Amino acid sequence: MQLKKGDISDFVILPGDPGRVEFIAEHFDKAELVAENREYKTMTGEYKGRPVTVTSTGIGCPSTAIAVEELANVGASTFVRLGTSGAMQDYTRVGEKVIATGAVRFEGTSVQYMPIEFPAVASHDMVLALKNSAIKNKVAHHLGIVQSKDSFYGQHNPENMPIADELKQKWNAWVKGGVLCSEMEAATIFVVGSYRKVRTGAVLLVAGDQAKGESLTKEEYVENMSESVKMILDSSLDIKVEK
Amino acid sequence: MFNKLEQVKHLPIGFGEVARYVIVPGDPNRIPIISKNLENVEFQGQEREFNASRGTYKGVEVSVVSTGIGCPSTAIAVEELVHIGAEVFIRIGTSGSVDGSAKKGDIFIATGAVRDDGTSKQYIPIEFPAIASFEVVEHLINASKNLNIKTKVGICQSKDSFFGEISPEKMPVSPYLDYKWNAWQKGGVGASEMEAATLFILSQIRNVKAGAILALETSDEETIQNMTKVVLESIYYMEMEKKNQ
Repeated sequence: MQLKKGDISDFVILPGDPGRVEFIAEHFDKAELVAENREYKTMTGEYKGRPVTVTSTGIGCPSTAIAVEELANVGASTFVRLGTSGAMQDYTRVGEKVIATGAVRFEGTSVQYMPIEFPAVASHDMVLALKNSAIKNKVAHHLGIVQSKDSFYGQHNPENMPIADELKQKWNAWVKGGVLCSEMEAATIFVVGSYRKVRTGAVLLVAGDQAKGESLTKEEYVENMSESVKMILDSSLDIKVEK
Repeated sequence: MFNKLEQVKHLPIGFGEVARYVIVPGDPNRIPIISKNLENVEFQGQEREFNASRGTYKGVEVSVVSTGIGCPSTAIAVEELVHIGAEVFIRIGTSGSVDGSAKKGDIFIATGAVRDDGTSKQYIPIEFPAIASFEVVEHLINASKNLNIKTKVGICQSKDSFFGEISPEKMPVSPYLDYKWNAWQKGGVGASEMEAATLFILSQIRNVKAGAILALETSDEETIQNMTKVVLESIYYMEMEKKNQ
């Protein structure tokens, strides 16, 4: 990632898309580009006097694990993913924000860290700070479990996959288990965070519902993403700055 | 699974005999000890390892029902308790230390559980996380702060084989047990016990709430009473929050 100590703050926001980094940093009071390599783009600045950093992870758990490890090596101690997701319940509606308490480990990276029985859990104090920020900012939100997958098209077109039966069977189990939405990075952030002893959380904007064929318009997307960024930035004020 | 009006098969209690809030220890002998902190206590009897009582705390109705040791009997107790109307479950139990972050005599609030059990896998695939309800954890932490009873917060491990933890070297699968235990130690698991994973998974699936509070390597009465006080106070906060909504 080409980062060194001093480039980043202790609090890091993790979008997937490098193209979203500048948009997120526009919500800071000041920000500067500190590194850019492969899918990792990093900007550091301040929000209401609190140092904050935003780094893109790329799509999926493999590149995300590298980002979390390398950021932790140069001083990051809190990681909050900001991403988009697909609705999995009738009551998770497009435009709502899901604050993840845990994640289904339907991905290949976290099992190269910890056996599959280990739960991918967000840090309690981070979830609490995000929840309080959502309430304060009047953001429509849910708290609960999300699903992290490796294959985007396995979710969107399971019937095209040789293992269609397994994909459909598991998807139905997650829905019955009350999983709120589907995304691609949270499980590894939570598991890597547990072993690195760092604080983790995730905010997933519900951007679409494949079953109902609904999605946000471009304007709605920008507006909702902006609301999510403000919610995370305000939550950072509840997290003690670690030098 | 059950007919709507069918009484349950294993518990000593039925419809109208359980509170919304249920404290679930493993040991049936712990029912009278925990019930000392309740008013208007009624002991409702015991079937197998399931011993039940009901009383009130600050005016809130609370049940205490033992689950027996292990996830298989815990799943039966929780299924039947949900069927007859229970909505919030808090386990009080004992545990062993794993990574050293929690030590002998500590009280540990679990945010999630390692699914080293067989029962929860017969409900949902293993990738699904066993996590406590956020609100229950939040209220347990607040109660412990307000009562000035120190607690630690973290992930526990739920195993099926007690002696597999105590004497792994005696087991044919000892390399497997050692390898996993080593991972739990490095991965940040604070306590090892035998019921939380299935309690969390089943509660998530049945859309009820659950939490767990564990004593580390002690079962002395003072620690059990301290955990009970934290649990009862958290139940009181949950009831107040529900009334204010």
